[in-house]
Amino acid sequence: MTSAKPHVDIEQPASRRFGRDHVRRFFPVFLLIALAAAFSLTSTRFLQFNNLMIVAQQAVVLLVAALGMTFVVIAGSIDLSVGAIVAIAALVAAKTSASIGLFAILPACAGGAACGLVNGSIVAKGKVPSFIVTLGAMVVYRGIVLYFTRGAPVSIENEAFLDVYSGRTAGIPNSVLIAVVLIGVSAFMLNLTVFGREVRAIGGGERIAHLSGIRVDRVKVAIFVLSGLLCGMAGLLQGARAMAATAQLGEGLELDAIAAVVVGGTPLTGGVGSIQGTILGALIITILSNGMNIIGLDPYFQNIVKGLVLVLSVFVTIDREKIGIIK
Amino acid sequence: MRIVAKDLSRSFGSTRALSGVSVTLAPGKVRALVGENGAGKSTLLKILAGAERPDSGRMMLDGRSYAPRSVVEATGLGVGLVFQEITINPSLTVAENIFAGRLSRFRRHGLLRAAALDRAAQALLDSFSAEVSVARPLSALDLGQWKCIEVARALSASPRALLFDESTAFLNHREVDIVLEAMRALKRQGLIVAFVSHHLAEVGAVADELTILKDGRKIGDYEANALSRDQIQGLMVGRDLSKGLFPPRAAQAHSDNLMRFEEVADHRLKPSSFALGGGEIVGIAGLKGAGGQRILEMAAGVAPLQSGEMKLVGASFRPRIPADAWDRGVAYLPGNRTGEGLIVGASVLDNLVMARPPRRGPLFDRGRARKLAGALIRRLFIKTSVPQARAGALSGGNLQKVVLGKCFAVDPRVLLLNNPTRGVDVGARAEIYRSLREAAGRGVGILLASEDLNELIGLSDRILVMRTGRIVTIVNGPALASEDVIIRHMT
Repeated sequence: MTSAKPHVDIEQPASRRFGRDHVRRFFPVFLLIALAAAFSLTSTRFLQFNNLMIVAQQAVVLLVAALGMTFVVIAGSIDLSVGAIVAIAALVAAKTSASIGLFAILPACAGGAACGLVNGSIVAKGKVPSFIVTLGAMVVYRGIVLYFTRGAPVSIENEAFLDVYSGRTAGIPNSVLIAVVLIGVSAFMLNLTVFGREVRAIGGGERIAHLSGIRVDRVKVAIFVLSGLLCGMAGLLQGARAMAATAQLGEGLELDAIAAVVVGGTPLTGGVGSIQGTILGALIITILSNGMNIIGLDPYFQNIVKGLVLVLSVFVTIDREKIGIIK
Repeated sequence: MRIVAKDLSRSFGSTRALSGVSVTLAPGKVRALVGENGAGKSTLLKILAGAERPDSGRMMLDGRSYAPRSVVEATGLGVGLVFQEITINPSLTVAENIFAGRLSRFRRHGLLRAAALDRAAQALLDSFSAEVSVARPLSALDLGQWKCIEVARALSASPRALLFDESTAFLNHREVDIVLEAMRALKRQGLIVAFVSHHLAEVGAVADELTILKDGRKIGDYEANALSRDQIQGLMVGRDLSKGLFPPRAAQAHSDNLMRFEEVADHRLKPSSFALGGGEIVGIAGLKGAGGQRILEMAAGVAPLQSGEMKLVGASFRPRIPADAWDRGVAYLPGNRTGEGLIVGASVLDNLVMARPPRRGPLFDRGRARKLAGALIRRLFIKTSVPQARAGALSGGNLQKVVLGKCFAVDPRVLLLNNPTRGVDVGARAEIYRSLREAAGRGVGILLASEDLNELIGLSDRILVMRTGRIVTIVNGPALASEDVIIRHMT
């Protein structure tokens, strides 16, 4: 009888299949629309072009970091050091932009990638769980920033740098355009390349992937380097927007990035997930903050709402049949 | 005590799992329920044990109506169940596992009386002569002994009937013997004992009576010693399999050495040498830990080679990780299907092309992958609605075909197979055997480690018999050999 099971699924009436599956799949979209509708009804400012651009700009740093996190989470790992890597990258960008201007993008990204390389190497070769490695790395990288800055902000004054990375083209912030390109590249890598399939396979079953001839160690290092690289970009954009690198830059970003990935429907258990989901997740989190500010919600109350939305999203989107163990 | 079931039927969705099956279980007899995957034997056993409820039909226990709504209720009425899966919690002690859920019996002033608990647990284990001491840590016991702990757990409810649902599926020869011995001991105590099994050797060893099922219907009840193994298989499948299960061997000579093992050894394996020719199927017989699986793991790049050398078509072959082996055309089918062989959450297609996905540069070539998966599904008769269906929805035999398909997908030179038909029903088994012989016919060398002697004898061109880490003999022309000869060398 078991061999007939897949047929059962197909034969189910479309109306019934819509019920659970579609609610689960499209919940992030519903949530985003619901939030946007609620905020635009309460405040006329919300839907104005300027505010939308602010939302987009605010979402960019989180989104770029969350793109890398998507790969990490689909592979069944976690990266808690993204906030600290963003701070390092911003510091590198600030220090180098004075002399090389807009080419500071290269050292910033290289710095981020180097941090990712260290994380990935320890995870893959040292066989230490990524949670522990990146928890330690988070403290170390943040410590490096504090050590070099002594807690003082490093301002960015290079005109060319600021023009390119925090300017606008045809009214649209350049950072948003950059993010769109990075989204495209990430989606391409995850969905169309062999690397993307290997990432999913490792998250679906690391030992199985290993025994099937996937070079798991190599792919894992690549994933963390990719995450570090994207954090390098995020740090660069954040620095340009703030016109300075501070020691506190990106603090708590790792949790927002994980939240964005998870709210977008990518489970922490690995194996499945999508870039589209992460985009929605990042937008939901940003719009929630932006909207709550605009309607003047008590800032001390805002965190409570954010936390509840996170749990609610996972409660609705999690596929309990496919994920045997709910940790 | 006597359990009488009449006209039991059960459907899952549109699938009829059981239609109008009647069976009577009497004490002092061991009854085996046999049939292919999907024949309904597990469903029948689960209904008897309260784990499933029938859509229609009724059951009587000593003349009284018996309609348990759960395993717990059935247990309370004296009908216990031992599951197929291992349900031992390794963080607990032996005694705690036996009385899990009933530990409050041993509570005094809020504290656990460990000594009384251990004594009661040991008494249960001794009652069916299980050679398990409650003082041993679980990690020191093998799976057969773990199963005995599960039997003791079932006995802790003082049942009058004990039902085993494929309880030997994950055990090796020696471990199976422990469980079969436990069944015999329970029978002698006057319990009703019934079990579901794929292994006709087990059925022959312990069952007094057989109930054969096919497609949810009962074929009949038989005295166990009235039928030969071939007759039983024929009834299960509905056609005569005595000639068909194993395809004929190829007549032509094998090509020269494809893969050579020269004095390969590690701390568990004594230096061993042999060669595998192209087109040859070499079987490895031996108890668990005898070294057969070790040889496969070395060739697959899973276990490191400590000394000696492997050669593949003349060139040195020393895989550091499995990927190195796959790169050289050496494909590996591990012993644990769902934990090592395939990702149940991924699609059939994804699993089939996982090892070396078709690619154009860095890009995944979806079109070619689809064609390849389609060809493999047809070649192995994998029963799936669409290639994109989740692998986890497939039955055991079809899952194994997917793992084998993953190996065939890379067009391998050498196939390393660890128990390729464990828990696979007869029909799927015949298809797997045919595909292996076909691959050998195209020049693939196959190294087959198996606990199923029938399979080794039916399929291999040569059999290496291993004992405690060394090759003790090589049986040439195994068609002429009997199981007894091989077993004598193995033990």
